[in-house]
Amino acid sequence: MSNLETGVHHHAHHFASADDEFEASKQGMWIFLVTEVLMFGGLFVAYGIFRGLYPEMFHAAHKFLAVKMGALNTVVLISSSLTMALAVSSTQKGDRKKAVLFLITTFVLACCFLVVKYFEYSHKFHDGLLPGQFFHNEELKDPKAPLFFSLYFMMTGLHGVHVLIGMGVIAWVLRRTVKGEFGPQFYTPVELVGFYWHFVDLVWIYLFPLLYLVG
Amino acid sequence: MEPHTEKHHHHILPTKVALGIGGTLLFLTFVTVWIAGFDLGPLNFTVAMIVATIKALLVALFFMNLYYDRKENAVIFAASFLFLIIFIVLTATDLFFRGDVYVKGPLMAAAPSSGSKLKKPWIATPELVAKGKQLFQQQCVSCHGVEGKGDGPAASALNPRPRNFHVSEGWKNGRKVSMIFKTLKEGIPGSSMASYATLHIDDRWALVHYVGSLNSDSVPVDSADDFKKVGVDITQESGGATEVATIPLDFAMERVAVEEPKVITQAHEYTFAEGYVPRPEGTAGMGSQIYQVSCAQCHGDKAQGGVKVKKLGGFTHAYVTTLPLSSEREGMKSQDAFNQVVIQGLPGHLMPGNGQLSSAELRELYQFIRSVNVK
Repeated sequence: MSNLETGVHHHAHHFASADDEFEASKQGMWIFLVTEVLMFGGLFVAYGIFRGLYPEMFHAAHKFLAVKMGALNTVVLISSSLTMALAVSSTQKGDRKKAVLFLITTFVLACCFLVVKYFEYSHKFHDGLLPGQFFHNEELKDPKAPLFFSLYFMMTGLHGVHVLIGMGVIAWVLRRTVKGEFGPQFYTPVELVGFYWHFVDLVWIYLFPLLYLVG
Repeated sequence: MEPHTEKHHHHILPTKVALGIGGTLLFLTFVTVWIAGFDLGPLNFTVAMIVATIKALLVALFFMNLYYDRKENAVIFAASFLFLIIFIVLTATDLFFRGDVYVKGPLMAAAPSSGSKLKKPWIATPELVAKGKQLFQQQCVSCHGVEGKGDGPAASALNPRPRNFHVSEGWKNGRKVSMIFKTLKEGIPGSSMASYATLHIDDRWALVHYVGSLNSDSVPVDSADDFKKVGVDITQESGGATEVATIPLDFAMERVAVEEPKVITQAHEYTFAEGYVPRPEGTAGMGSQIYQVSCAQCHGDKAQGGVKVKKLGGFTHAYVTTLPLSSEREGMKSQDAFNQVVIQGLPGHLMPGNGQLSSAELRELYQFIRSVNVK
């Protein structure tokens, strides 16, 4: 389907044109992202219910999260979203060097996010701020507090898995960009990976205030 | 190359716009962290969600190109959020308003349905007013204030404001004794005045007279018809109010759990569902019959134990072997201990609780297992 000449791509035979193929791929991606909203939606509903039932517990427990780390990760993720958007527009303009640079930056920022997350998680593990029966923190007395950390790990964990998958697909388009497979005529994979990455950012935009700030 | 690849759909996000959006997102992150530092009460949540939504919109519209894209993609994505809102709102509505489900019928001996024990309770007496004052201090002051001026600590948050009983005008249901009684029984829909039908009817009468006494204007006189309309028959001494009270389900459950913990640990007659008739005591073979249906599967046909029971859940699938139900075991030492184990189960073990049995059935079952005489 693609050859080594920059961004030359022959659309599949069941599409009338490359444009049709592009639009169809993009719409497919949007529909996939809808299913992602539904998946995270279940967790957000659980959050809403438990927060409504035990507002005092949520308030007490959220103070044990590191706001600075969360805020740092928000900055990291937003910056990576920006570099991803720039990688897409560079590809569209045919500036392969910049595209590679922005994709690498995005990947590195994603790594930073996971490193911060690692420090946060290990701190929680050390303090016994863990889900359900594994909870063993002396300071946080509320008997329902393990529930908060179940939600915390489920929500940030599922998001973390998305970051990992995002890194995988970013590496994949990076490799193909280096090989010169994308250009102004064909950049569908770069754009769609971009969508996925922005979605990961979008989820975090809600997770951060809900867990760290207003708990 | 394709002749028509460069169409208007292929929008390239200008670098300036991208940087502008990125900068705005970082700025909004700073704003939301900064505002969270102030204690604004419930407003904190609202502000954080508004800021997050602005950020999400910027990401979706510009980074994800929805602003320039074909509108159907925006509709597809927005639909998922619409679904999410319905999901959250309906679930919350169900869960947080379950208290509004009412149960009918007497729950306990002292349920509010048991009618007045007073004579002509609609006539104010100094005793009733004094009792009403006492109840008022427990039940009403948080909204109506210590002196009934509608200035309690919670009043400022309420709309409409709680009634000032010292002013004669503006009472929703009027100031007649029958009408105050109605207000206490039914509450005032559309305001924060809840139904106090959970109070015993005599307590409500006392409150009615205390509230009436707060105003220097005389209380308007009721006719027999006025009373009839609110379910009070003044031709009978007690007022004939043998109404079946409806009380909120969660209130009923709280009362059972907190005030009457024994209801849970012992089989009292009044815990049975309406229309349930326990089998008469001493029915031949009743204990053995219940045992075979409810117990034999795990404890063996002669209470000898040794049955392997599969333990599901937890981290591993495991088999547990039941022990014989010998008379040395705690739960077999007395009828009370036995009842407790059967009704509550053994938390942390596989023994489930069974609250369906009547005290007569529990006695028969206990006798049966002892008669098997397991060593």
